[in-house]
Amino acid sequence: MKTMPLAVTVNGVARQWTIRPGELLLDVLRREGFFGVKRGCEQGECGACTVLLNGKAVNSCLIFAGHVEGSEILTIEGLAAGDDLDPLQQAFLDHGAVQCGFCAPGMILAAKALLDRQPDPTEEQVREALSGNYCRCTGYRKPVEAVLAAAGKKRGVSRRNHGEVAR
Amino acid sequence: MFDQVEQYCRPESVRDALRLLDRSKGHAQVVAGGTDLVVEGGLSVRVLIDLTRAGLTYIRRRESLCLIGATTTLSEIGQSTVIRGLAGGLLTQAATACGSVQIRNLATLGGNLAHGSPAADMTPALLALEASVVIANDKRHKMPLVDYLQRSPHMGHSLLVEVMVPEPPHGARTGWSFQKFGRTEVDISLVSVAAGLQLDARARVKWARLALGAVAPLPFRAGAVEQMMAGQLFDQTLLARVGEQITRDVQPISDLRATAEFRRELSRVVAGRALEACAAQAGLTL
Amino acid sequence: MNTSIVGKNLRKVDGVKLVTGAPAFTDDIQMPGMLYGKILASPHAHARIRRIDAGRAKALPGVHAVLTHEDVPRIPHTTAGQAWPEPSPYDTYLLDSKVRFVGDRVAAVAAESRAIAEKALRLIDVEYEILPAVLDMEQAMASGASIIHDEPDSKNIYDARHNVAAHIFREIGNVDEGFREADFVFEREYRTQRQQHAMLEPHITICWLDADGRLVIRSSTQVPYHCRRQVAMILGIPVGRVHVIKPRIGGGFGGKQEMLLEDLCGALTLATRRPVKIEYTREEEFYMARSRHPQILRLKMGVKRDGTVVASHLKVLATTGAYGSHASTVQGNTGSKVLPLYRAPHLRFECDVVYTNTPVAGAFRGYGCPQGFFAQESLVDEIAQKLGIDPLDFRRKNAIRQGDIDKLSAQLGEGKEGLPRVIRSCGLPECLTRAAAAIEWDLKRHLLPERGGVVRHGIGMACAMQGSGIAGIDWASAFLKMNEDGSFCLQVGSADVGGGADTVLAQIAAETLGVTLDKIIIMSGDTDFTPFDTGAYASSTTIITGGAVKKAAEKVRAQILNLAAKMLETTAENLACGNNEVFAKGPSRKSVSVADVALQALYKEKLQIMDAASHFNTDSPPPFAVTFAEVAVDTQTGKVRVDRLVTAVDPGTAINPIQAEGQVEGAVTQGLGFALTEELMLDEKGRPANPNFLDYKIFSAKDMPKLTTILVETEEPLGPFGAKSVSEVPINAVAPAIANAIFHAAGVRICKLPIRPEEMLRALCERDREHEQEEALVTK
Repeated sequence: MKTMPLAVTVNGVARQWTIRPGELLLDVLRREGFFGVKRGCEQGECGACTVLLNGKAVNSCLIFAGHVEGSEILTIEGLAAGDDLDPLQQAFLDHGAVQCGFCAPGMILAAKALLDRQPDPTEEQVREALSGNYCRCTGYRKPVEAVLAAAGKKRGVSRRNHGEVAR
Repeated sequence: MFDQVEQYCRPESVRDALRLLDRSKGHAQVVAGGTDLVVEGGLSVRVLIDLTRAGLTYIRRRESLCLIGATTTLSEIGQSTVIRGLAGGLLTQAATACGSVQIRNLATLGGNLAHGSPAADMTPALLALEASVVIANDKRHKMPLVDYLQRSPHMGHSLLVEVMVPEPPHGARTGWSFQKFGRTEVDISLVSVAAGLQLDARARVKWARLALGAVAPLPFRAGAVEQMMAGQLFDQTLLARVGEQITRDVQPISDLRATAEFRRELSRVVAGRALEACAAQAGLTL
Repeated sequence: MNTSIVGKNLRKVDGVKLVTGAPAFTDDIQMPGMLYGKILASPHAHARIRRIDAGRAKALPGVHAVLTHEDVPRIPHTTAGQAWPEPSPYDTYLLDSKVRFVGDRVAAVAAESRAIAEKALRLIDVEYEILPAVLDMEQAMASGASIIHDEPDSKNIYDARHNVAAHIFREIGNVDEGFREADFVFEREYRTQRQQHAMLEPHITICWLDADGRLVIRSSTQVPYHCRRQVAMILGIPVGRVHVIKPRIGGGFGGKQEMLLEDLCGALTLATRRPVKIEYTREEEFYMARSRHPQILRLKMGVKRDGTVVASHLKVLATTGAYGSHASTVQGNTGSKVLPLYRAPHLRFECDVVYTNTPVAGAFRGYGCPQGFFAQESLVDEIAQKLGIDPLDFRRKNAIRQGDIDKLSAQLGEGKEGLPRVIRSCGLPECLTRAAAAIEWDLKRHLLPERGGVVRHGIGMACAMQGSGIAGIDWASAFLKMNEDGSFCLQVGSADVGGGADTVLAQIAAETLGVTLDKIIIMSGDTDFTPFDTGAYASSTTIITGGAVKKAAEKVRAQILNLAAKMLETTAENLACGNNEVFAKGPSRKSVSVADVALQALYKEKLQIMDAASHFNTDSPPPFAVTFAEVAVDTQTGKVRVDRLVTAVDPGTAINPIQAEGQVEGAVTQGLGFALTEELMLDEKGRPANPNFLDYKIFSAKDMPKLTTILVETEEPLGPFGAKSVSEVPINAVAPAIANAIFHAAGVRICKLPIRPEEMLRALCERDREHEQEEALVTK
């Protein structure tokens, strides 16, 4: 069985892996213990496998592992700094945006890619950024609120969410 | 599954890529973003040639031409100010309408065109702008996109390396619009339309361009409609005639997504709306 | 209600591990020597396996086992995750010599890699005798139709020779008399489609033999205990030799209320003595798992001139697909949870559930109610419109209310005589008022249709109810023990499917014990370490398992108070608990921390403070939901856009309001898909046409209307702290609310789901043609 070396930085740490030439990034990441990268459809539709590749949100199920040689990958495992959660992770927890949690890693990373590029997004921009992450549990409302809240927090602004809340 | 792949190559020049293709004698597959290839899977491919390091990711202007490297992603196209400045942002609209953020970050223009899906969204926009492609084998040659789409599958060991977009016609009272219809917001198109026109001071059409995707075996320019429109007053009567002609020009299929009848009707409606949007940009609201 | 933990928006107890991607789901482990299991699926809708030869597959290097029907015991069973004895037909076999739908099991392989397993499948030689397939449920009972279950050993099939898996007939009063009394009788036929759960985590099971040779099943399941029992029976091993572990689950919605892969995975482990994983691809998940029963509903309602409903007759034809899992119970719900919403004295429900050679139907959020309420709430809207009565007034006049007794449910229990249902809490009237106000019903009802143009706007509403647990059948137990730092281990057999059940149960325990939430360590769904629970279905976890948790916590609290009384030299009656402390009620302000009580118990008294309790209800208090929808119908493309969706729900008490809201919002989103976009389609040979997300369209973040969620809390005597349930009911009223809004906008009644643009456009064109004809007549 043919193998080849792969040098890639994952979550800030340089890795030297051995892969098969036709292997997909999702499979390699999970094999190397990054269980936060989820297998949902293997067709680039559901977004559960989303990672950041050089800062951009991509479906790791569609990428040959060989493609990422020399690149930087961020998985959900790399987001928190030890026990300190990223504001996005905090916001998802505080806004009830996590139910089963299977889509959450991918969705949080897609949101991070947005906020890194656009720190003050509109609700429409948030929905656009999350449009490649299917969620079957939440109806997306609380995840969108969480992203907007995290954006505000990152900018040091306390902000009411845009959506309508009624109890 | 790609278990039978023996080699994954990342050539750093087009020349190296071509050499690899040649050497692999039909067992190689070129890959850029992978968004089509990986989904289709199950190939008996031995060698994967990843083109994304071969220097084909760029957007440049050269005199009146806009040059887009074949491995430029749809995201890069969608975020480019150079592209936004062309034809009222027609290519920007098409690029940002495709798929999701994740897909756009991977999918390349060249991959999209080479894969040749009848529903690819960039193609109608590029046809409306009369784009050409540059093919490289032992040398480079240019061919109109419309010819590339009809190419024989045995183009041999050559690579699509660049898309050239000529300066679109511009001037006062010009408008461009890209519209698509899908079952949900993130969907393959049931119909996509790229349109452009210019009106004179009396609301007569100086020229019109109209291209449709997903309603024929290949995306196409609706030449008969364009000719019909030239010199005519832009009004509801013209739009009705345009609609009629379009229903005659399209060759939609019936599949699980829609019947041919529905696609035909959608073509009429969406083309009409695209043209109305162009006219609105040109300063005329019906 | 004066509570400090219950009723608060506390963070999910499993939240941190979910947002950090910690390994918590079934697939998030690596087991040395694990093999990959794959199922060879039938390419034919209906066929006998004349010959099957696994020789070449077995010889492939890396293949450790190949199983066919010749290798395994033949034990008729149902895969439905239901309490024994299950009311579903026992018509399924681990592997059979007949295949009954495209995707049915033919054989199974365990190999060292996914690629080898897939290659091995292709090397299994099968000779099929293709039989005529029954794909159309309306043809299933016809004489001459292929008999799908012609095997002699299946049991509990109503009429196998005519492909009838189940038949239901129930009546209260006399509907014929009722229709005679009525001033008007309305009748319509409605059709609903095959909707699939499409949870983000497909079905997955990993099995292995532990050091004692017991079969361990780690599976994404809603029903660990039913799974254990069924696998033990099918594989012929004692229940005590099977250990089912339920990790975090990536969504279930009823699709995992099923013993789906565990038996086959277990069989492969027994055959290879190695760990084996079977995980469905997304494609397999679509058609080889479960989906919602498609139905044809014929509803007839008789009303008085003033809008009083006097009689309702619902006749349903449903298909359960190739096997009868949940056949009688889902459809039973279509009658028992739907018709009694309106207080007609005469109700009749009749139903045939037929087999077809199509993907197997099963439990799916709402469990027969979405279909039934689509019909009933659409017809009621039509009746109100024809009688000139406001739809809200119609509901207020007719809807079931507090104090009522629902007699129909006494007849339709889980497959047997049920128990009469008393409505002890009902927030429906307030739900109607508040939701109507939130969407500006009165204003928009008059304003919107006047806006002409290509896009027509309209507003519509519907209401619904469900149940909370299955009366007399769902039950649960809880075990609680105290740790020396004042924390507690809470063990429950329930299965948090993602909705936050673990959190809610921990809140109930914490509130009862007088401690903070972080002091509760909850473990759920492990058949070795947690006590019995029927599982996560029928909206039962909060009310039934919560009831057991409350009881267990009350017993443990009593033990704590007794010891604290001794420590504080007072009586237990004089003490109260709160905020991790036990304190005297009087002015003395004596107190001791719960942690100190724990230390005292464990090391001084030599006492483990612990207790257990079981709980069930003899009734199923309904939660209520009302949905108002505002739509925009593009009359040129047929696209229906929902601009606003307001849902008001009476869940009893919301133990965790923000989680309850989340359940509502997720449920209505599935309701939107049910109404507008989702359908698993089959081609003319019964093959799935769209088993992927490209063509099975679910709502993305960009498709969503503006959502408003209103919780109208009531206090239900049968629920812990007054809770009922919230996980299913909000899905039920979405489709009819949208259909009714479409009528308001465009004057067209759509009676078939999903309401796709093409069908909407056709309906509009037909209506235009009818108008033209009418005009033509008028001018003559």
